[in-house]
Amino acid sequence: MSLWNPFGSELRKTATLPAAWAGVLVALLGSAAITALNALTVRGAVAAGTPERLADTSPFETGFAAMPIIGVVGAVVIGVVVIGSEYTADRAESGGARQIATTLAATPHRPTLFIAKALIVLVFVAMTALVTIPGNIALARAIIGGAGIETVTPAEAVTRSLSTALYWALMGLIALSITTLTRSGVIPLVVLIANSSIVSFSLLLTNLTPLAHWLPDMAGRKLFGFPSEYVVQGGLDPVPGAMVMGGWALVLMVVAGIVFTRRDA
Amino acid sequence: MTLLTCVSSEITKLRTLPLAVLAAVGTVLIGAVITAALAANAVDQGAPAGATAVLQAVPFAQVGIILLGILPAAHEHAGSQFRTTLVAVPNRGLLATGKTLAALIALTVTAALTVGVSLATAAIAHHLSSVPLPARGAEPWALAGAAVYLSLIGMLAHVVALLVRHLVPALVTMLALVLVVPPLLAGVTEHARWLPDRAGSLLYLPGADTALTPGTGALVLVGWVLVIGAAAVAAFITRDA
Amino acid sequence: MIQVDGLSKRYGSRAVLSDVTFQALPGRVTGFLGPNGAGKSSTLRILLGLDRPAAGSALIDGRPYRSLRHPLRTVGSMLDGSGAHRSRTARDHLAWVASSNGIPHRRVSEVLDQVGLADSGRTRVGRFSLGMGQRLGLAAALLGEPAALVLDEPVNGLDPEGIRWIRGLLRGHADAGGTVLLSSHLMSEVAEIADDLVVITAGRIVAAGSLADVTAGYATLEDAFFGLTDGRQGAAR
Repeated sequence: MSLWNPFGSELRKTATLPAAWAGVLVALLGSAAITALNALTVRGAVAAGTPERLADTSPFETGFAAMPIIGVVGAVVIGVVVIGSEYTADRAESGGARQIATTLAATPHRPTLFIAKALIVLVFVAMTALVTIPGNIALARAIIGGAGIETVTPAEAVTRSLSTALYWALMGLIALSITTLTRSGVIPLVVLIANSSIVSFSLLLTNLTPLAHWLPDMAGRKLFGFPSEYVVQGGLDPVPGAMVMGGWALVLMVVAGIVFTRRDA
Repeated sequence: MTLLTCVSSEITKLRTLPLAVLAAVGTVLIGAVITAALAANAVDQGAPAGATAVLQAVPFAQVGIILLGILPAAHEHAGSQFRTTLVAVPNRGLLATGKTLAALIALTVTAALTVGVSLATAAIAHHLSSVPLPARGAEPWALAGAAVYLSLIGMLAHVVALLVRHLVPALVTMLALVLVVPPLLAGVTEHARWLPDRAGSLLYLPGADTALTPGTGALVLVGWVLVIGAAAVAAFITRDA
Repeated sequence: MIQVDGLSKRYGSRAVLSDVTFQALPGRVTGFLGPNGAGKSSTLRILLGLDRPAAGSALIDGRPYRSLRHPLRTVGSMLDGSGAHRSRTARDHLAWVASSNGIPHRRVSEVLDQVGLADSGRTRVGRFSLGMGQRLGLAAALLGEPAALVLDEPVNGLDPEGIRWIRGLLRGHADAGGTVLLSSHLMSEVAEIADDLVVITAGRIVAAGSLADVTAGYATLEDAFFGLTDGRQGAAR
């Protein structure tokens, strides 16, 4: 079975799913709000002549401060709903009334279906990244104007933006895989969103064992490229970290794909 | 139809819903496990941890109690059970009250158990290591505050779910509001102290903020619950089924 | 006795119900017929206090549903299958419904026996077949031993044995003096069991009266149905 038809139908399906757009909007609007606040604070401090109170006045850093984390929440929501929406019951009774039955009737070749869904997650996360990352930086720049001193070179900016988008994409795929295994979005949402906040179970584990730095969300932490004064020490460098995180995503996808193919609907 | 029968049927609903039981047990377990990990860590370094470990575990236990708070209102809308409920209890004001009371009972019991079991776990960790427990200072109040905080955050989740009606949106909203946004805002503005979890944290971390006391912090959190709760109950009563 | 008077409802600019008036009398089975989208479910939802009408009233023994103290002990209803959450067991579902209206717990086992789900009491509702879900919905309707039964498509998904059983149940309930309001598409069933008929199309009542009166001049109930609803079809759905 070709990939083209399932990809097209899954794209149409997700594009008409309000929850998927909610994930995009959470990333976009949530980060914009905090970036605006951040930028106004920076501008205010510079105008009042007290820039030493701030970490730095770089528009890029200002735009980048909250966006990566909020974007993770959006990516997780996207990954969860692309497969989770297949399993929400239309009616609580008469088993088999869930959308997955219709989907599998249309596309019985499950590996193809799973890959199509993974591609859709990537498309939506990429779309989110494309608007959110430059958007936030532009917003910060617009508000701060010339008042700030840029400490980030254009090359660095591009690298960090792409790396952040990569982190989001991998988190989206991890969310997709876990939700495929659990068939319900509740646990993956709770665990993955909690892990991207200060209440991070992974971060706590790093206090107990250095092995925790190999967990997917910990391994990829340095991809955001935050200045090292603000990041918990230890752990993997950006490139090895990205590879570990990518490895996790791949393994989880393979496991989820196999389970999805073999079990009952 | 009395409030008592309404509350009793709502509690029956909760205790027979597998996910609710899982959320409650999960909250207690998260609290205990994280306390054990923190206490073991501290004890390894020879430092007494005791109640501090419990208080540090509270933010993690929030995660489970938020899910528990959302379920009473949200699970009705997965399928057609909400219709059944309205047909059994057509008085929506009574229904909202009964549901909220049942949620309150479930949340306070879970919160108390979480703090209690976590404290016991910390004590065991100490006992096993022969590092003496630190002398009790103002800690009993902080521990009680932690249980109150967990119950109130759970109630906030309940009124959000009552308003939003569906599990996933309510869950994402609460997790974002309580876990993700506060640290990001705290780095930007001092007004972040008015966020529900920041204000409420004074209950178990009394010195954390210069402008708020445990009492005022608790009032801010209760204020959040009441304002969203008022909107939620108004919507609940007037919306179509 | 169920009395519906001048009921009207709009969804936006669409008139879903226009001046709907009819009765369901005690001791009789009243069939509520109409094409898809005619307004049967809308009428029943208003009767059971789920939705508000723009005008008119729907009363049970002279009182609106929301004012009944123990509604499930007055009216047993089944609107849409089991009405249960998929992850609870049948028994647990009936348990909370019973406790909400002060119905004694022994009724749970009694109704499960009555509908033939005694062996499936501890099965999760999510695993039920269509017919089992219907039976669970009926069990919930019967829990409070109500005087009136309001059922929307109760025969949907039942096997022949179940259909015969329901026929006996509803007939027995009416013969014992209870009120039965039954909405259905199954002409043959309605013809067998109904004493009175109410026919609705595009939100308006086109016929109401005894079975004999409504089908007068037509060979069968089916002919009467099409004769009365023809030309009024095309209700917005």
